[in-house]
Amino acid sequence: MAAARRLKRVAASQPGFLTLKPSLNPSDLVSGRRKRVNKNKKKNWNKHSDINDVEEFLEDVRHQERTTGGLLSEKSDDSLFFLDIGQPKKAEQKVEEPVETKKRKGKASRPLRIDLILQHDSLIPPAKDVLAYQQPNAKKLRRIAQKAEQLAAKGVVPRRQRQLLNRRPVDRTAKKSATEANNNPDREYYDIWGQESKESADPWYLQQTGKKHVKRPEKLNEKPSVLPAVEVIAPGGSYNPDFLSHQALLQEAHDVEVKKQKQEDKLERQLAFNKEDKATEETVLREQVEGLVEEENEEEEAAANDDEEEVAVGAIALAEKKTERQRKRERAEKIKEQQRLANRKQTDQQQQLFQLRSIKASIKQREQKTKANQIKRKAKQEAQKSQPRRLGKLKFQPQDLEVQLSNELAGSLRQLKPEGSILKDRFKSLQKRNLIEPRDRAKFKRRLKVKYVEKRAFKEIT
Amino acid sequence: MGGLQKKKFERGAATNYITRNRARKKLMLSLPDFRRLCILKGIYPHEPKHKKKVNKGSTAPRTFYLMKDIRFLLHEPIVGKFREYKIFVRKLKKAYGKTEWSTVERLRENKPTYKLDHIIKERYPSFIDALRDIDDALCMCFLFSTFARTGKCHVQTIQLCRRLSVEWMNYVIASRSLRKVFISIKGIYYQAEVMGQLITWLVPYQFSHDHPTDVDYRVMATFTEFYTTLLGFVNFRLYHSLNLLYPPKLDAKTQSELKEEDEEDYAMDSESYIEKLSALSASLARVVSSADEEDAELDQFPVEGEDMEKMEAREKEQKQQEAQRKMFQGLKFFLNREVPRESLAFVIRCFGGEVSWDKSICIGSTYDVTDETITHHIVDRPNIDKQYINRYYIQPQWVYDCVNAKILLPVEDYFIGVTLPPHLSPFVEEKEGDYVPPEKLKIMALQRGEKPANEQEEDNDEEEEEDEDDEEEEEEDDNADEEEDDEEEAEEKNLKEMEDKRSQGKSLQVKVTPGKVKVENPARLEQEEKAEEKRLAIMMMKKKEKYLYDKIMFGKKRKVREANKLAAKRKAHDDAEKAKKKKARK
Repeated sequence: MAAARRLKRVAASQPGFLTLKPSLNPSDLVSGRRKRVNKNKKKNWNKHSDINDVEEFLEDVRHQERTTGGLLSEKSDDSLFFLDIGQPKKAEQKVEEPVETKKRKGKASRPLRIDLILQHDSLIPPAKDVLAYQQPNAKKLRRIAQKAEQLAAKGVVPRRQRQLLNRRPVDRTAKKSATEANNNPDREYYDIWGQESKESADPWYLQQTGKKHVKRPEKLNEKPSVLPAVEVIAPGGSYNPDFLSHQALLQEAHDVEVKKQKQEDKLERQLAFNKEDKATEETVLREQVEGLVEEENEEEEAAANDDEEEVAVGAIALAEKKTERQRKRERAEKIKEQQRLANRKQTDQQQQLFQLRSIKASIKQREQKTKANQIKRKAKQEAQKSQPRRLGKLKFQPQDLEVQLSNELAGSLRQLKPEGSILKDRFKSLQKRNLIEPRDRAKFKRRLKVKYVEKRAFKEIT
Repeated sequence: MGGLQKKKFERGAATNYITRNRARKKLMLSLPDFRRLCILKGIYPHEPKHKKKVNKGSTAPRTFYLMKDIRFLLHEPIVGKFREYKIFVRKLKKAYGKTEWSTVERLRENKPTYKLDHIIKERYPSFIDALRDIDDALCMCFLFSTFARTGKCHVQTIQLCRRLSVEWMNYVIASRSLRKVFISIKGIYYQAEVMGQLITWLVPYQFSHDHPTDVDYRVMATFTEFYTTLLGFVNFRLYHSLNLLYPPKLDAKTQSELKEEDEEDYAMDSESYIEKLSALSASLARVVSSADEEDAELDQFPVEGEDMEKMEAREKEQKQQEAQRKMFQGLKFFLNREVPRESLAFVIRCFGGEVSWDKSICIGSTYDVTDETITHHIVDRPNIDKQYINRYYIQPQWVYDCVNAKILLPVEDYFIGVTLPPHLSPFVEEKEGDYVPPEKLKIMALQRGEKPANEQEEDNDEEEEEDEDDEEEEEEDDNADEEEDDEEEAEEKNLKEMEDKRSQGKSLQVKVTPGKVKVENPARLEQEEKAEEKRLAIMMMKKKEKYLYDKIMFGKKRKVREANKLAAKRKAHDDAEKAKKKKARK
């Protein structure tokens, strides 16, 4: 509405509708046959009245506004024209040029074309969004603020603030201590063995609610191995060892290595095969033609086998039936044999009376043997106690002996190079004392296969 | 015969054991959690006697636990915590996935944790039980405290381990209970006697970082978690037994001495206290400030006869030990920058010495190099530019060897640039007849109070002399048993000669010589009597016993022979070395 009003005002102030465009000629509009139309209907007004001139005028005004930010006629002369005083001095130009070239070199200084296109090129300021400045309940809020100011001047604190001030600070530290981690470096200790545990609550209640501490079975306090927790290295492992003890340690390490080597050699020997058994071209060829050449022979053999089987089957069927007499005789013989054996047993027992001494001796011998076996077994069990047990899939593998060769020994403490790792030593010690089972590191297993694809960029090169 | 058919594997060994997987399912825990629980509760796998019976006929290798142990685990409150933790992780993951940061924060604040205190009390009902099992804990704590603070394990764990190990070292210093030290190629072994228990632990060298790949760090961390709790409680108790303040405090007197203006160079304020503690140079504050030296005297009981002797012997021993504990008392040490500071400071302070180092090495140094009262300067380099006249310049091995020998050894063998005598292991205890290295014999002689002969002579000669001495001594020691036999044989020979002569009869020269008063040596007589008794006893032996006796004696002699052989070998080696040296000198 406001725009239309302004346009009217503009139109009135312009005498004789002076337009910018010279091509516009009013005589063109009048030329041609005149059409008669009823002008009592609004529809016809719109259809047949010629409003081009008005529209063009308005277009022109908009154009002026867009490009110059207002109507040219309203602008002052200073803003439209300037005084031409000829070319500026050459010296100044020269100074400016290198700067310009430099600027051109840097591509970043020139805006992209795409940005230029998107730039807002109209000089009309955007319409003011009235709603953005409006505030709901503005009046009410203003009143409240005024009242608060008045109260503050009097020294009255509002209720909300009073509540905030009165609130107790949150006890953060107490909560922290409740959820303190086990490895907190500043954690506190107390006398755990001094105080007697006091169970104030009813034991029946504790038991029923599952809060009662169950007594630890005595047997669990036995150690699974008799080995000491820290096994001190042999005297040869000193940083500056005595000659002979060092030699002894070296010998020990040597023995271990020899044993390992022997085992490897044994495996190699077992895996070895006769060189003559190796596949030659001839044998390979024979294998390939196997069954193609010698077919006929095999068939004959197969036929022979069939015959034999038939004969065997017939033999089983030919078992004869025994006669009554034969049966009787067999039974009598059986009884007779039994009687003979019984007699024999009796005489033997009678004879044993005279063999008492030798029997005694043999019993004594047997007892001695069992005793010896018992002792041996006990000794073995004792020895077993210090041995690592078989606790899982893997057997315990002792650690390599830490040894420094004679030429590796350091002359002084400063030059000493530590051997082995204590972490590993501790780990192996735990395994050796049966506290944990020997275990392999879990292998990473891929669930799905990885597909190998050659990338295109890579393909071009290769 | 009626009744139901007996089913297999429903009684006996098969019901006493349970496989690991079944146990895990019974407890409703994941495998890592189960493993952790077992370590914390001290429940270890078992090897059944008859695997096939236990494994229901299969011979596949499996890990078995005792059924009773697992049933015991069912009552553990920590199991619930483990489950809670699992749920906590799940919730946290979900919150992260949904980028709900407030939820994440709330969850983190309420992270479920657990305490191991009740498990400690349960596994070690008395303090001595805990002390017996402290070796492992010490090794673990000292090891973890040397780890770099990156990856591998929590920084907090490392800090806690460092704190506990420093506390332990300070306790050992305050109680003067260190007994043995052994510098090996692996690390340094220490042995202390705390409340009658011998405690051995192994300390790695500084900066020897080697992270083996075949060690399960999770298992080790679990053990450490348990052991740190244990060691903390043990430390508390030990400190209180000495009337020391438990979170250890430096003595007010020494603290004022230690005040320096350049403290900030070493550590932040929060860390400087523990750093000062770990410097080990200052003594600790006591609950009741008492006199510096308190001599606990044995109670005197009225005793008679044999007990009296025993008491005296015990008192003498006590005095000797007391003297050993104050071995370095009054000596002032200065550590050069190339020697292992912590270990030496610990050992020297354990025996009452004063120790200091250069200000630039570590916090807590008490005096300078220029101090005139320094008696021993510990150096580990071939030569040193500026030397003071009134102090010994010695190599670090001297300190350790003194501790093991329990006396102050002569410093001559340990001067700068001198080839050191071997560092012998104090953990070896030789039985009678075993080979004893000559260096140890020398030390033993020193302990008895004998002085090595001809000290004033030239270096080279002296060495030879001593070696010979040693050899002789060895011979004597080794042949102690043989001597008796030899004597007997000699006597018999004499008798035989006499008899022979008598049998020849006539040719006996008859001569009267002035008689000599036979000097009777009572000691000698006694010895002879004893030998005679022994011989008679041997004669009276039954055949079977005699056989056994001969066997034992043969074994002993064989041992002696072997020892002699080793000694000869050693001598040959020494001679060869000497010859080489002489050649080199020429």
